[in-house]
Amino acid sequence: MTNTILCMKWGDKYDQIYVEKLKEQCEQNCSVPFNFYCLTDKPTQPYDIQIPTTLDNYYHKKRGFFWAYRKIHMFNDLVEGNQFLFLDLDVIIHQDLKYFFDLDMEKPWIVRGWWNDLATVKNNYSKNKSTPLNSSVIRWNKGQMKSVYNHVKKNAEIIFFTYPSLDNYMAHHWYDPWSEEEGFLQGLPKGDVYSWYKGNIHPDDMSKKVLREDHKICLFNNSTHTEGNYDEEIKNLW
Amino acid sequence: MVDYIKFSPDVARDWKSVQSAVRGDTYRHCARRVEDASTSSQLRSKLWIIEEVSNLDIKVDRVALLAGWYANFIVPLLIDELGASFIHNFEIDQDVKQLSYKFNKRYKEEEKYKCYIVDVMFEPIWNFMKQGASGFDLVINTSCEHMFPMHKFLKINRGFLDNPLYVLQSTDDDQYDDHINCVNSPEELAEQANLVDVLYSGTKVLDNGMNRFMVIGK
Repeated sequence: MTNTILCMKWGDKYDQIYVEKLKEQCEQNCSVPFNFYCLTDKPTQPYDIQIPTTLDNYYHKKRGFFWAYRKIHMFNDLVEGNQFLFLDLDVIIHQDLKYFFDLDMEKPWIVRGWWNDLATVKNNYSKNKSTPLNSSVIRWNKGQMKSVYNHVKKNAEIIFFTYPSLDNYMAHHWYDPWSEEEGFLQGLPKGDVYSWYKGNIHPDDMSKKVLREDHKICLFNNSTHTEGNYDEEIKNLW
Repeated sequence: MVDYIKFSPDVARDWKSVQSAVRGDTYRHCARRVEDASTSSQLRSKLWIIEEVSNLDIKVDRVALLAGWYANFIVPLLIDELGASFIHNFEIDQDVKQLSYKFNKRYKEEEKYKCYIVDVMFEPIWNFMKQGASGFDLVINTSCEHMFPMHKFLKINRGFLDNPLYVLQSTDDDQYDDHINCVNSPEELAEQANLVDVLYSGTKVLDNGMNRFMVIGK
């Protein structure tokens, strides 16, 4: 079984240092062999793979909906491998990534943002806000996410019009906040992934800007982040 | 002219059960939304439907509500005032489904009201109808500003709904994040649904100051 770690980089806001730093973190924190690839709009490195442009026409830059849509391409067997782990560029890895390759793969895994109040998630569900999922870390086996790619491809016009984010789309079509065990996607358990800006587990452990090195991965997701709007606080923690 | 809703002892009992539910743990987070669904503006916009459908002298029997929310006002109005025999509400929110059943318990028990969980822009509503069942003669969507233009719904349900009459409402009030599809006029609303035979088209300013547009047609 080939293990593949993927990241994505498009536009100019993340510089190449983010990719190199992520690669370095993976090399330092993964005790099983893996291949590393970066899907990018401007390939320059041996590990770079060109992101297809087939969905670009559906994106309205002024509206900004579904802005992380390029991630959908990685579910279309673009990259060789059997076991895939996607990581956003702005993460800090604390623990051995082997954990993710050893997970039971009956269903694909995605970050369940345990820092969200489930009551708020449900309350804002029809407003397409307060999504419980976060696509900064996704683990799937070859072909397992193909149905997600196909669904977006088939319904692109509606999806790009309706959902502010990829996470929100995922939460509506591939997850069920009312029956969390029954969705197509399963959420990574409490204690795996936390958020630098939002906390860890609602309501008991919501301290922000705290490193939790007994967890696997720290995310730097922030509600104010939209396309082209990032901060560089993570650089101080590398 | 219908300018009020009949507040019978049965209605009082059902609505009281919703008030009790949103005081409990399971539905406490819905309390504010239930309040928002019970405003004078909500009632006026639903009474407007009843008034104009009555004026057109249209017989209403089987009704599909798209994103009908709690359906707290529209269901009793359609059944009590227009004589609808059943109403199916197609929603995406599980809490809404359960609370809509409490609001309309009297009709649910008589099998006059049913709520399904489905996103009507992705899946045809006839998927939820029993084989051989009659289609709908009236389709109501008072949430057009919250979703993709209605031509998509018509396309994926074409040929299966008994050529229904459509009642559509929307607004030009774009101050809310979830108003993703505001329109500037009732004409634009009709265009979005590709309605070719518009029987009614109008604008009303609601108590909350919002412009509300409504079109009725095929």
